[in-house]
Amino acid sequence: MRIEVNGADHDVTSPPLASLLTVLREEMDVTSVKAGCESGGCGACTVLIDGRPQRACLTPVVTAVGSEVTTVEGLGTPDEPSAIQQSFIHHYAMQCGFCTPGLVVAATAYVNGGGSDDLDSVAEAISGHVCRCTGYNKILEAVAAAVKSSEFDLDSTAVDKNTVVIKTGGAV
Amino acid sequence: MKAVGARLPRYDAMGHVTGSTQFVDDVRVPRMLWAKMLRSPHHHAAITRMDTSRAEAMPGVRAVITWEDVPLLTYGHLEALGIPADEPLLAKDEVRYKGQPIALVAAEDVDTAMAGVDAIDIEYSERPALFDVRKAFDSDSAQIHPWGNWYPHFEGEMDRRKIRKGDMDEAFERADKIISGVYRPAAIEHVPVETQVCLAVPEPNGRLTIYSCTQALYFTMGVVAAHLQVPLNKLKVIGGTVGGGFGGKVDTASDTVSALAAMKSGRPVKWRWTREEEFLASSTRAPWHMEIIDAVTSDGWILGRKMLTLHDSGAYARFSPYGVTKHSFHHTGAYTIPNLHFDGYVVFTNRVPTTAMRGFGVTSISFAVETHMSRVADELGMDPYEIRLLNANRINDTSPNRIRYADPSTVDVLQSLADAKGVDLEPAYAGMTRDPRSGDLLPDHLVGQLKTEGH
Repeated sequence: MRIEVNGADHDVTSPPLASLLTVLREEMDVTSVKAGCESGGCGACTVLIDGRPQRACLTPVVTAVGSEVTTVEGLGTPDEPSAIQQSFIHHYAMQCGFCTPGLVVAATAYVNGGGSDDLDSVAEAISGHVCRCTGYNKILEAVAAAVKSSEFDLDSTAVDKNTVVIKTGGAV
Repeated sequence: MKAVGARLPRYDAMGHVTGSTQFVDDVRVPRMLWAKMLRSPHHHAAITRMDTSRAEAMPGVRAVITWEDVPLLTYGHLEALGIPADEPLLAKDEVRYKGQPIALVAAEDVDTAMAGVDAIDIEYSERPALFDVRKAFDSDSAQIHPWGNWYPHFEGEMDRRKIRKGDMDEAFERADKIISGVYRPAAIEHVPVETQVCLAVPEPNGRLTIYSCTQALYFTMGVVAAHLQVPLNKLKVIGGTVGGGFGGKVDTASDTVSALAAMKSGRPVKWRWTREEEFLASSTRAPWHMEIIDAVTSDGWILGRKMLTLHDSGAYARFSPYGVTKHSFHHTGAYTIPNLHFDGYVVFTNRVPTTAMRGFGVTSISFAVETHMSRVADELGMDPYEIRLLNANRINDTSPNRIRYADPSTVDVLQSLADAKGVDLEPAYAGMTRDPRSGDLLPDHLVGQLKTEGH
């Protein structure tokens, strides 16, 4: 049983019904694919299978045979980050980073599939992903911006339009 | 000074977006074992028999850890602050919450570890359970600990965190109205997307390397060293990359037992909780029961506050006495009330132990105080901004624990809030400042607290 991950072939030694998540993490050391809930609820293990976002934890590895599996490692590298990866950095669309690979994968499928920059549409596209840190707004902004632009300034981050400046009265 | 005022990118952002950030579960070492925990299926029970021999004899099982393997079974995170320990690392004779850890099995793979857990022979004798803090004081209620259902060790061996300030009787005599409210925010699970996880690696030099998801690395070092009864220089704890914590990873939840299993098996051991374990057995934010009774005047001054707080600590104390102390110091919120009578109890129930979460102890009281301020405004027919600005902390006012405020920002925050919401304040309120009280803002009942000894 052979699967193709990020353009390279791999001979699977796990049983056919082992999850793609387990094969990627424990057999292939592809560790960007996170075990957040292992029951399809959190989205942290999302990969592209023939371009479509899928939960690796709910995917028996045998069903990926003959398909192209892409993880976030296959989308861009620190030397050459993709537009969406750049946009996430520029828009501060992460904190702890644990859900980020899954979100970048889902956002890539959305943008590549001709998704619009309408925030409601973006929210629908990433609705299967749990992020406990950011409150989602910055992620929505990052994905929407990546619809319109392919390059972002990585040396500074976007100004948050929601920031409220508190007036200070006495000495602070 | 290039950083001040600049919008700098996160130092770890590139690692996060490319999947190269290494979390604990991503660390790879050879010959690693997987661990699984036998947890209590009951809320409250005596353990009448436990036999791990079948599990130990299973092919692929390399270590079984029970209370007998722990050099110092009971240790607390806050012992150094005078809060005595009450929680065993692994249950011995009794279990006090569903999901309480009892025995860990480390094996060559996950399936074998789970089979090992199933092969532990254990019997329980169930006891009545207590879930409602309001019933904890009843004589016929289930008893959680030998000493009772609430924490008895506040300073001076008091059984509650107690604050008395001013003259409560006079405040209630002078009041035009008594306005009360009960506030009960529920428990919240932190739900970090990374569940509790540890990788403990025995090193050839006799030390242990512990890859930890902790939010509080020095707590972990101290707690693990104490349970294992080893000096700190035997431990190398590697942390810093936390897949979400929010307070739930302040407790040392997985490191100590993993370390014991690594020592006993001589192999690296990884213990990663499932999402189900995280929901069932990880600590939560506490549910609180708060009763507020305010003595108020018809023109909007709060003369006095009586308050009772029951903090649901779950089965063990952990950080709860500290949380209730912080809570008590903040029980007037951002407002000045000169006459106070506060009692706060740390109450034990058969729920999971509760712990820190974002503003530990203070979030609950802020919710209660602000909701209550709006209720008082409603009942008096006053504007909610005006009643807050009238009673707001000003320079030289004193807190419930008699700290003198040097530069409180309540007035400015309220004015900014009104501004942001498009609310036009009356000139008398729009022009208020945090300056020390005088004139109309220094009514008789507040003169005394200005003279109170501050710290």
